[in-house]
Amino acid sequence: MDFRFWLPVLCAGALSGTSCALLGVYIVGMRIPSLAVCVAHAALAGAVGGALCGLTGPAMLAPALVAACAVALLLGHAEGRGVQIDANITIGVLFSLSMGLAFLGIGLLGRLGRPDNAVRNLLWGNVNFCRWSDVYFMLGVTAVLAIFVLLFRKELRAIMFSRQHALAAGIPVGLVWTVFLLLTSAALTVNFQTVGGLMIYSLITNPAIAAFQLTRGHGRTLWLAVLLGGLSSLGGFLLAAILDLPTGATIVIVSSALVGAAAWRRARRAHGGNA
Amino acid sequence: MSRTDISIEGLVVRAGSRVILSLNRLAVAPGEVLGVVGPNGAGKTTLLRVCVGLRAPVAGRVTVLGQPVFAPPANRHGRRPARLNGGALTRLRQQIGYVPQELPGHSQMPLTVREVVAIGRTGIAGLLHPLRARDWDIVDQWIDRLGLNQLRDRPFSELSGGEQRKTVLARAMVQEPRLLLLDEPTAYLDPLWRRQIVATLDQLYDQTGMSVVLVSHDWELLPTCCRRVVLLADGRVQAEGAPHEILNRERLAALSP
Repeated sequence: MDFRFWLPVLCAGALSGTSCALLGVYIVGMRIPSLAVCVAHAALAGAVGGALCGLTGPAMLAPALVAACAVALLLGHAEGRGVQIDANITIGVLFSLSMGLAFLGIGLLGRLGRPDNAVRNLLWGNVNFCRWSDVYFMLGVTAVLAIFVLLFRKELRAIMFSRQHALAAGIPVGLVWTVFLLLTSAALTVNFQTVGGLMIYSLITNPAIAAFQLTRGHGRTLWLAVLLGGLSSLGGFLLAAILDLPTGATIVIVSSALVGAAAWRRARRAHGGNA
Repeated sequence: MSRTDISIEGLVVRAGSRVILSLNRLAVAPGEVLGVVGPNGAGKTTLLRVCVGLRAPVAGRVTVLGQPVFAPPANRHGRRPARLNGGALTRLRQQIGYVPQELPGHSQMPLTVREVVAIGRTGIAGLLHPLRARDWDIVDQWIDRLGLNQLRDRPFSELSGGEQRKTVLARAMVQEPRLLLLDEPTAYLDPLWRRQIVATLDQLYDQTGMSVVLVSHDWELLPTCCRRVVLLADGRVQAEGAPHEILNRERLAALSP
């Protein structure tokens, strides 16, 4: 095994696992896990738009981030402002719109005779192709996200419980929620171009759900989810390396297996089999 | 001029073109417990939401704890009442213990009872400030006073409806509010739990003497501390006075659909 080649892949996997798990605790806690995939695909549409405007390489990250932030803010603030549509249905509408715009853009790139390899790589994202520059981006976003969660954990806990109760308790919900959505967009955009949509969805949902089964309390759940996120990534990576299997797929399978194991343990506890 | 905790004048709230609440004048004196009763769709919940600035009226003046939550527009070009600015409204909400009708049931996160009750101290502690030992002391005191001690480390989602009601009431009480706004605190509970919640409210009033507005369609089970009732129907006041004068079966039967 070429360690110099695999080390950034390993780091990217671990960072992706931890940052997605951190976000997942709140996103899944509020029962809107599809928000992650929707925002990630809005980032794809933004990147395609950037490619159409002649941007290449890391410069495509800027329009991707703008599109991701726009969709996240639209989703996060539509509710309660006269929009009588359930958040999960709004996500469905915006997700399909983002995909439609992205594919339209890819089609136009072909018609204009421009290369579409860069955006196709974004669409499928592969952790095996990430390099140190990607890892630094991910490290920066993960660090900012972790600091934000640390500083605003009591407000996030209240918002996750109920936005209405948080407002009633005199918490500036709009401010905290908006910053959270912007950071979510940044984290997902950076993760999306590195690891792809499937892994994002898996790492947002599975570690959080597994942690919810195994423990109680905000702090403990947060730590356990981050631990399980990192474990999913590293475990999946090692499995892939040992068995010579695709890395992304094994990470998804390991994180899903953790959910299964956690649900089984909780069921056993509930039936008094193992206290 | 007499001091009031809530003062409402010329309030009109619309949903589309339909007027859902229209009040000429309503006041709540300090230390008073006002019951607002009426059938579903009478405008009871809307009244509370307007008082905390979560629902905007199309006309009227609403003053709560001396703060103009909604005031007529300053210039004649403004059409809707102006809402208190964000920061002042947030600070005002910290002094009001508002308990919405719906119990939060959508969170998947296994937050404990103690964590849920502590939400009441979160706004008061302020951004970037963790809850201090005094905040946790207040949280623990109210958990104890409301008989939730055995449940403090249990996930909120695993509690019964009555236990959840008590928990969100404790969430409001840890704010040490000057005014308590309760929206259907006995909704979806069995008779035993309804009586227990009402007894708890009486006990709370005896201990604190704070002003309370209690919205309920359960007019037969109002706390004894409630000495004035407003009967709402179709968004308008139908009667106002002492509970025994206002709440008779004939009058309420006439309002039933």
